Amino acid sequence: VSAMSDPRRDGPVIAERPKPGAPTPYAFPAVTTHGLPNGSSLVVVDLPGRPLVSASLILVGGAAEEPAALAGATVLAARALTEGTDRYDAIELVEAGERLGASLHASAGWDSLSIGVDVPAARLEPALELMAEVLLHATFPGSEVENLRDERLNDLLQARADPRRRVDERFIGTIYAIESPYHRPSGGTRGTVERLTAKHLRTTFERLRRPDEATLVIGGDLGGLDAVAVASRLFGTWTAASDMEDDRVSIVDRGTSVGRLVRVIHRPGAVQTEIRVGHRGLPRRIEDYHAVSVMTTILGGLFNSRLNMKLREEKGYTYGASAGFDMRRGAGPFTARAAVNTEVTVPAIVDMLAELDRIHREPVDQAELLAARDFLVGVFPLRFEAAGAVVGALGGLAVHGLDLAELVGYRAAIEAVDIDAVSDAARKHLHVDDASIVLVGDVDAFGADLEAAGLGRIVIERDESPPGMPTDPD
Amino acid sequence: VPTTVPEVAFSDQRLGNGLRVIVAEDHLAPVVAVNLWYDVGSKHEIQGKTGFAHLFEHVMFQGSRHVAKAEHIAIVQAAGGTMNGSTWLDRTNYFETLPAHQLEVALWLEADRMATLLDALSQENLDNQREVVKNEKRWSYDNRPYGSFQEKLQAHLFPPEHPYHHSTIGSMDDLDAASLEDVSAFFRTYYAPNNAVLSIVGAVETSAVVAAAERYFGAIPPNPDIPALPDLSLPMTLGGEIRETVYDKVPLPRVHIGFRAPVFGDPRLEALDLAGQILSGGKGSRLDRRLVRDERIAQDVAVFTMGFIGGASMTAGWATVRPDISVARVEAALHEELGRLTTELVSDDELGRAKALTEADELGSLQRVEERADRLSMYATLFDDPSLINDMLPRYLAVTPEAIRDAAAAVFRPDNRVVLTYLPEGDGTGIDALTGDKEVAA
Repeated sequence: VSAMSDPRRDGPVIAERPKPGAPTPYAFPAVTTHGLPNGSSLVVVDLPGRPLVSASLILVGGAAEEPAALAGATVLAARALTEGTDRYDAIELVEAGERLGASLHASAGWDSLSIGVDVPAARLEPALELMAEVLLHATFPGSEVENLRDERLNDLLQARADPRRRVDERFIGTIYAIESPYHRPSGGTRGTVERLTAKHLRTTFERLRRPDEATLVIGGDLGGLDAVAVASRLFGTWTAASDMEDDRVSIVDRGTSVGRLVRVIHRPGAVQTEIRVGHRGLPRRIEDYHAVSVMTTILGGLFNSRLNMKLREEKGYTYGASAGFDMRRGAGPFTARAAVNTEVTVPAIVDMLAELDRIHREPVDQAELLAARDFLVGVFPLRFEAAGAVVGALGGLAVHGLDLAELVGYRAAIEAVDIDAVSDAARKHLHVDDASIVLVGDVDAFGADLEAAGLGRIVIERDESPPGMPTDPD
Repeated sequence: VPTTVPEVAFSDQRLGNGLRVIVAEDHLAPVVAVNLWYDVGSKHEIQGKTGFAHLFEHVMFQGSRHVAKAEHIAIVQAAGGTMNGSTWLDRTNYFETLPAHQLEVALWLEADRMATLLDALSQENLDNQREVVKNEKRWSYDNRPYGSFQEKLQAHLFPPEHPYHHSTIGSMDDLDAASLEDVSAFFRTYYAPNNAVLSIVGAVETSAVVAAAERYFGAIPPNPDIPALPDLSLPMTLGGEIRETVYDKVPLPRVHIGFRAPVFGDPRLEALDLAGQILSGGKGSRLDRRLVRDERIAQDVAVFTMGFIGGASMTAGWATVRPDISVARVEAALHEELGRLTTELVSDDELGRAKALTEADELGSLQRVEERADRLSMYATLFDDPSLINDMLPRYLAVTPEAIRDAAAAVFRPDNRVVLTYLPEGDGTGIDALTGDKEVAA
């Protein structure tokens, strides 16, 4: 500080933006990987100074491989795991966790089912014992499963009344072929969830519960704890159910090929229109992952992304506009999104399409490239302050079959993305002409404009009035 | 129970112009959090100007003398940082988290807008952010199922002449009426160094940070004439039950409840926080166990407190009613469970579990530099006592069963209660219509 020359002042403030100091080198925390006797993997990361330890047991495989008739079984099975075990009923289990200050949780999605716990370091071992109890001795009690199923059915009712959830659901239903699981929510639909029983959930879980596809990740301030010994004792010897036939289906991620379709779900009197524009996107394991990341950061990731600058900061149409790929083991969706006031619905869509087209057609500026790269590189260490985030990232590697180098080398790989790579990514992976447009809003207010704009074939869904509303007299 | 949450050591000083600077070093990761609280919130708004403090917060990102519109965020993000601002009843805050070597960029940005915001103010930018905020209101409140409950609870719990009567987002008419003159006057009055607390937490040297704060903020003149708020004190209770039925685009009825509660900082509010945990914190909680698991009459339940310093706080909750269940039955069960807390002592085991979870939550929250910086600013702004960052958890862990019973008895009273009942619009036939509407599985 003392060596610094006096900066030029302008009234009460310094005129020049300060130059950054020397960056502190950053490396992703050191990780050790072990094979347990039963063929499952153990990943341990010691993070001194992080006393809230996180552990996660990941079973690879999820809702994307469910038979269509059982859609929602994996997500519901995960929720049911903590509803009872051989030793504890649901309440005893949650109370045992709470006495440790531990939140025990299980959840599932398209690609995996995980059982996890966050707990103060001193009480890690008993918390892991609870995790093992859930993994090995879940009982799927019929009455509790019934209750969870009813909750999910009620949740689906609620989803129809929420414009955000409604538009997301109709969007994936529009862009994915009906044979694809991505056509429906990972939690299933009313028609399938209604049929799910405790037996379905148990079978679904047992299919996933295979040691060769299981990874346990433990991260945090482990102090003197021998995590390998504890994990080996609790998680080293379990085996898959011997009579389990593996009837998982391979992931179908086929999109619809209808060309440009505009689907409007009428919500009478809505003050905003929820807009989704997009198409079938990409799986996580692609060669140009980092170029795609930089491209979408410029298009719709940063606050100063093209979409947000245009729709929010220039036009005032929305509180926020964004875009990105949801990358799964199969090709998840590419989605551009915004909620805009009803009167500007059509001009907002036109602006969104124009931005998708522009990044497809023209190279990005050097300044935009640098801003996106510097952001992704700079926030990387910020993402890993808490043990839970480190464990989550390592679990993600297991789900996608990626190597640790993916995290260790992330920043260098982002730095290596240039303008041509961004242009290639946009050209290869954005398909503006085939993008579907799905809206939830008051079509009586903008329908005429929409037709005049000639954006594509328009399908209006008026008959599915929002729950609680009388059917539209039209 | 001795706490396992590490103590936060910090330094605390004021610059000559009154800016309070609090620094806590933490060299675990190469990051730094910068957090600036201004002692101004929606409680400083007058009738006809509701929503203004929040609209102003948006204007703070529209540029200043040396920073162009939207450039503040561009600079922070390109520096590898994250940032935001937020407005609430008692305050407005602005914060950045960055790689530690970028600290001075954040200080420079905050100082530039604290000193020179009005240089960049334009009608065009104000109009633009007015539209953005109106879309924020539509998105967060107006086009959201049950989205009006917060506004309605505040309106019922606080009398019309009290500034907590209106919500932070304000009304569309008042947002339309906001002028450039309003922005200038608000800025000159409240955005002064002596009305702010700057907290910095992370991989930094305290003396260097204080010197940098002096360099960037030291020449910004204070405002010696910040007007004091009128007396905001309120009677402890409402004095009668208030009920409202709201028809909304919702498939399931929901019963919302709200109570006037002691101010933030009153130990009774801490007891009510733990009561909220016991009532609705997870699957083992009383309301979840009875309404969701055993009787299966509710889809979800919640009870929580919102701490305010101006006269009273709010304890609120809800239960979403399952199809074909009587709304009155769910409401009665809610009242009964809250009522039990007012007469019966919670068991040591139940309270012990609530405290263990509170402690683990605190451990999780405070490991993030951003949260620590925000807490230091908060306790300094609201209570002139940043050391509450270390004292609050022990206070929670010292709450007794008797303290919970007494706080509950003082607050969970029928004559201190607002009940909002959300019902499906129309005659409710929407639910039946939906039950018949099966989606086709592939």
